[in-house]
Amino acid sequence: MKDRLKDFVSENREDFDMFEPRPELWQEICTELKTQQAQKEKPRKEAKVISINFGDRLNFAADFMFMRVAATIVLLLACGITLWTVKKNNPAVTNTLAATTETGEQASVYQMAPELAEVEVYYTSQINSKREELSEYDLKVLGLDETREIDSELARLDSSYTRLKDQLQTTPNTDQVMAAMIRNLQIRIEVLNRQLEVLKKIEAIKEQDTTEPQNNETTTI
Amino acid sequence: MEKGTFQDVNAQVVQRCREGDNRAQYELYKLYSKAMFNVSMRITNDYAESEDVLQEAFISAFKNLHSYKAEASFGSWLKRIVINASVNAVRKRRSELVPLEDRMAGDIADEDYDDDTEWQVEQVRRAIQRLPDGYRVVLSLYLLEGLDHAEIGEVLGISESTSKSQYSRARKKLLEIMKDTHSMA
Repeated sequence: MKDRLKDFVSENREDFDMFEPRPELWQEICTELKTQQAQKEKPRKEAKVISINFGDRLNFAADFMFMRVAATIVLLLACGITLWTVKKNNPAVTNTLAATTETGEQASVYQMAPELAEVEVYYTSQINSKREELSEYDLKVLGLDETREIDSELARLDSSYTRLKDQLQTTPNTDQVMAAMIRNLQIRIEVLNRQLEVLKKIEAIKEQDTTEPQNNETTTI
Repeated sequence: MEKGTFQDVNAQVVQRCREGDNRAQYELYKLYSKAMFNVSMRITNDYAESEDVLQEAFISAFKNLHSYKAEASFGSWLKRIVINASVNAVRKRRSELVPLEDRMAGDIADEDYDDDTEWQVEQVRRAIQRLPDGYRVVLSLYLLEGLDHAEIGEVLGISESTSKSQYSRARKKLLEIMKDTHSMA
């Protein structure tokens, strides 16, 4: 079919293109291209920084891999340190006396007897405060061997406590073992209380004697 | 032969573009931006939209230059990108590109009532601009961008015969518009 219109258009094809885009459009395309290129090259650039630090032998791919590995290591280290500090801080309260067992064991023990943790915290805080009281006296009353005895007594109780704690994992009768453990802790407090009383008495006696020993000394000389 | 050398000339610039040479990119832009802008203008009939299309097309062309295998000239490859982007832009704006088929049931048979009139480029161009989207796109693709009906069907997602009938209707409508404006003038 003869198409006069088509002939006319193809004859004058050039003249139909009469519009022009704004001259600024190229700039816009340029900036867009650059931002896209920058986005594409971003991971490369990061790798480049690493390669400068660690020598040029590693290529980009290896550097990228290195970044991943490094990130993983950092993450694991952070986790490890956090866990370690948490574990270190938590037992620090209880560890002084009662909770002398390995941390690994502790977890399972506390799983078996969840109330044990509470009990331990309660008694150890008591024991610690008593010990502090005692140490104050110790500074004042130095010449007493009894404190050493008490220390060894407490150490004995402590070791038997650890044994009980081990038993708690093996024996089915947890209630009895628990009772023994609590008794153990109570005994410690009693021991410390008694010691405190003794020291208080000694202090009282010493205070009474404060005037007399001077006389005694003078008389002996 | 001539085509071969023409491709070679472009191929060098294209290769430099592949390497990210900004000046080579500008060379291609200078060479094609006006033609491509007019292609888009005819399809979208909207200046701002055509600029968006042009920008989008050039960026996508430079980005996907690796997929351009010198089978066709760079110009026709780019033109295809521009046409597709323009058609998509019109589609976004209007749901259907070829909706007018059924409305024109009572078509008049082709008659050459235009034979005696003398056409002006400007007059034809303005008349094309006044065509509804569906007609304008098919007519522009066929008359001005040199696509055959099979290609138009592919681009618009219609059959070849639909493209043909759409074109003949568009053509008739165009002649009507030109006649009207002529008699009005």
